[in-house]
Amino acid sequence: MFAQFTRIMRWCLLLLLCIPVLAGLVGVIFPALGYFPAIGANSFSLDVFRTLFALDDIWHMVWLSLFTGVGSTLLAMAGAFLLLATFYQSSWLEKVQGLLSPFLVFPHAAAAIALLFVLSPSGIFARLMVLGGDDAPPAAGSSFFPYDEFGFSVLLALSLKELPFIILMALSVMSQPLIKKKLLGYVNVGASLGYSPTASFFKLVAPSIFTQIKLPILAVLVFATSNVEIPLILGSNNPSTLAVAIMHWFNHIDLSMRLLASGAAVLQVAVSGVALLLFFAVEHFLMYLGKQSLMKGRRHGADALVRGIGYGIVSLYVILISTVIYAVVMYSIAKHWPFPALLPEGVTFLHWGTALEALATPLVNSLLLGMLVSTSAMLLVLFTLESEQLKPAARHANSAFSISLFLPLLVPGVAFLYGLVWFQQLVLQNAVWFHTYIAHMVYVVPYVFLSMAVAYRKFDNRYAMVAQSLGKTPWQVFYRIKLPLMLNAILVAWALGLAISFSQYLPTLLASGGTIATITTEAVASVSGSSTRLTAVYVIIQGAMPLIGFVIAWYLPGVLMKNRGASIKEKNKRRAVLHGT
Amino acid sequence: MIGRLMLHSSTKNAAHMSSGGQARLQLRTNSPLFTPMQVLFFTCMVIFSVFVVAQTAVGNTNDEAASEKPPLVRFHAWGGSAQVNGYLQWVALQVKTRFNIELQHVKLADTSDAVSRVLAEKAAGNHDNGSVDLIWINGENFAAMKKHGLLSASWVSELNNFSLTNPEENSVMTTDFGEPTLGMEAPWGKASMVFYYRSEHMKSLGLMAPKTTEQLLRFSQKAPGRFTYPVPSDYLGISFIKYAALALNKDKHSVFYQPVSDASLKTVLPPLWKYLDALHPTMWQQGDHMLRHASQLQRLVGAGELSLAFSFTASEIPSAVTRFDLPEDVRTYAMQDGSLANVHFIGLTYNSGSKAAAKTVVNFLLSPQAQAKKQEITVWGDDTVLDMTTLTNAQQALFKKEAVHPSALDKSKPTALLAEPHASWTDALRDAWYERYGARY
Repeated sequence: MFAQFTRIMRWCLLLLLCIPVLAGLVGVIFPALGYFPAIGANSFSLDVFRTLFALDDIWHMVWLSLFTGVGSTLLAMAGAFLLLATFYQSSWLEKVQGLLSPFLVFPHAAAAIALLFVLSPSGIFARLMVLGGDDAPPAAGSSFFPYDEFGFSVLLALSLKELPFIILMALSVMSQPLIKKKLLGYVNVGASLGYSPTASFFKLVAPSIFTQIKLPILAVLVFATSNVEIPLILGSNNPSTLAVAIMHWFNHIDLSMRLLASGAAVLQVAVSGVALLLFFAVEHFLMYLGKQSLMKGRRHGADALVRGIGYGIVSLYVILISTVIYAVVMYSIAKHWPFPALLPEGVTFLHWGTALEALATPLVNSLLLGMLVSTSAMLLVLFTLESEQLKPAARHANSAFSISLFLPLLVPGVAFLYGLVWFQQLVLQNAVWFHTYIAHMVYVVPYVFLSMAVAYRKFDNRYAMVAQSLGKTPWQVFYRIKLPLMLNAILVAWALGLAISFSQYLPTLLASGGTIATITTEAVASVSGSSTRLTAVYVIIQGAMPLIGFVIAWYLPGVLMKNRGASIKEKNKRRAVLHGT
Repeated sequence: MIGRLMLHSSTKNAAHMSSGGQARLQLRTNSPLFTPMQVLFFTCMVIFSVFVVAQTAVGNTNDEAASEKPPLVRFHAWGGSAQVNGYLQWVALQVKTRFNIELQHVKLADTSDAVSRVLAEKAAGNHDNGSVDLIWINGENFAAMKKHGLLSASWVSELNNFSLTNPEENSVMTTDFGEPTLGMEAPWGKASMVFYYRSEHMKSLGLMAPKTTEQLLRFSQKAPGRFTYPVPSDYLGISFIKYAALALNKDKHSVFYQPVSDASLKTVLPPLWKYLDALHPTMWQQGDHMLRHASQLQRLVGAGELSLAFSFTASEIPSAVTRFDLPEDVRTYAMQDGSLANVHFIGLTYNSGSKAAAKTVVNFLLSPQAQAKKQEITVWGDDTVLDMTTLTNAQQALFKKEAVHPSALDKSKPTALLAEPHASWTDALRDAWYERYGARY
């Protein structure tokens, strides 16, 4: 019964992910081939692609997407592994994790804006630079940071944002009891053979972690090549990345530009594919290098340098996070704040008032949608994972399953979301909540799955075996053994789902047609507005919202477990009394 | 197979149960994480929330059928300005109390999002229950919606208050960038282009604020990086280009008010290109990166990165100063070689499900009370479209002047207004610009 139920759930999950993405893709492939009856384009041809490739900047845009996407992912990965190498045996690891998690839950748009607050020519760092100088106006925008034509600022911002995600994924692998034990064994063997901790990390620990978190990293890569918010806010527009151009064409006043946009969306899928290939090439090269270094057997590998970089990254984050917090909080309450001054001229809550007045409905919408999406995604994922263990699927079915699971992450959002809207117009055109729910689920489920699967697949199955051998049904094993043991991981995954649902901009806007205002849609609208101070308020609110989920995730297990312990004691006591009589 | 397994395990379970306390004790220690009550509560929560969502979804399908519910009017309008948003909140309250209409302001980052949405609905065959009722547009968005038949026609003359704009005398109320409105959209407000500058920057740079296009170029050459304009896909960006084109072709104004032709384009472009070629390298970021949104201009002036910028809403400057978004040394003025001026409108979509209520809302927006409120500097400061000669004395008194803010435009000085060129010029100028300077998305 339970096993059957979980299998049905697995199919539900599969359909939920595949139908919207595939429908969305069909919705862009037809216009890309020149078929879009609404504007009178009724015949199939390759003209759209001809126009697309005839554009002057198209290869430059493709290059920028590839460069910023692949570059940022590699940089973030290198940073993450260097950090882990520095801290994996130290008690600082938890502090580092705590430090980085705010960046993890910060929506991309908010993170990009926050970086502008500190790094732009009139930002906090520029203010510090001219400290004590005269009241001259700030350097007239010729600085390196925002809008550089090579895409370095986009690359930097993307890596800053992705590094915490990779760390979190790696840590969730490393903290699994079985893996922890195995890795500890490796390290001990390494140490007894005279390898330095850093050398053992790169030679023994890193390879096994990497294989475990490879899929999440690939998702990060695709996301980085097709992200819209960060290049839109920090990138140059001469030219921009491909994804930004796609969005621009889709929103173009001239509606026939949608054909071009659809063609470019198809190209974006190919670009992300090429990025994956490049990544695999780098991976193979590194594996080759790794094997060579294993053979050489050097006991030390630039230990001091690695540690230096590790500490450097941490201090970079400490400095960035503290200045961002300072800048954003100050801006949100500042009266006039002329350039070189480090403190505003006065304090006002005018902008908080304006924001809060307008936010009641969006807040309720965000919470309702987030809770609903995250909770149902969590349940679906749990049952799916359970079905995998109860009745493992055939090999082919299994690989088909994991590909479709990652479909929404591997197909760039800008490519299928516009097509999805067209499809949603055909069926149930007025069920906006339902459509928005689906559009969110498509993004939330894979991340929740990623976050849970690592924990779940590595769950020490002997507990389940023992329980089963003591006569528990699969449901009882699931409910009484697995759920409690994995409560931490479940809640973290739930919180992650909540955070991701909160941060969705394009899916919310497109699927609801703008009728469901959430905190994020309001925030992005305010970014297009002219008030820096109001934007600062929205950045704070956006940053704080996902924390709700994580606070629950950190706090609840303690409470539940305490109660559970208490209730067991209580029962034992009662039983003892009964036995006594 | 599963069934048998379960059967097996349950019999085993029973065997354990009967075999005595020892086994039972061990099993019971696996007490559940949640008590049955908690599970029940949780399930109820989920079911309840699904119900709530479904309810909303279903509720939306029969908007007008449910007569006891007040009609819902969705007004899609750019949501980037706190003043406009605040004004629309006031309007929503008014129409709710006066006419029992639910007005929802759908805040757009970009108006073309809503245009795309109506088009998608038309493509999907949703012809009578669209998600956009009213839309704040003008210029090209209007031209695009008109071209694709996305607006209701001839509804504006049904509005009582429309006559207050004196449309027979003021042809601008029925022409949108040279394009006849055919009653598809009602005028809402008026705007003209103004420039503003940081007076303290000018002092430390030792320069005067430029009063003509030529002076602007000289200013930018002397103080590089202190001025920029948004890309032409932005409303204000293309407006700057039109202003420059008009100001640099003073002797050929008449060609701008006819549909564009290759010949007329060829005559006006050379001076424009010569001018922009000289201007771009002196601009912010050497003209390499240009802003995507006009509102970022105001931010950069506020941050001090720019010293000179322009806007289409003169009133937003003093109101931004009172909200601390611009510093107090900002001063507003109009260019001597002319200010581009236009009217902005409200369109009613062809597939709106609540047209009657939407018309009531627009009629209210055109009432002297609503227009006077909109013109208050502290509210929005958008110029009224009503013709004062059609109003009673009491109604005129609603528009009485307030005290003038030092950063506000001095309206006592006469300003030369330049009417918007014919709508076809917008695309032509923009395409020519992109062709010359590269597509900047």
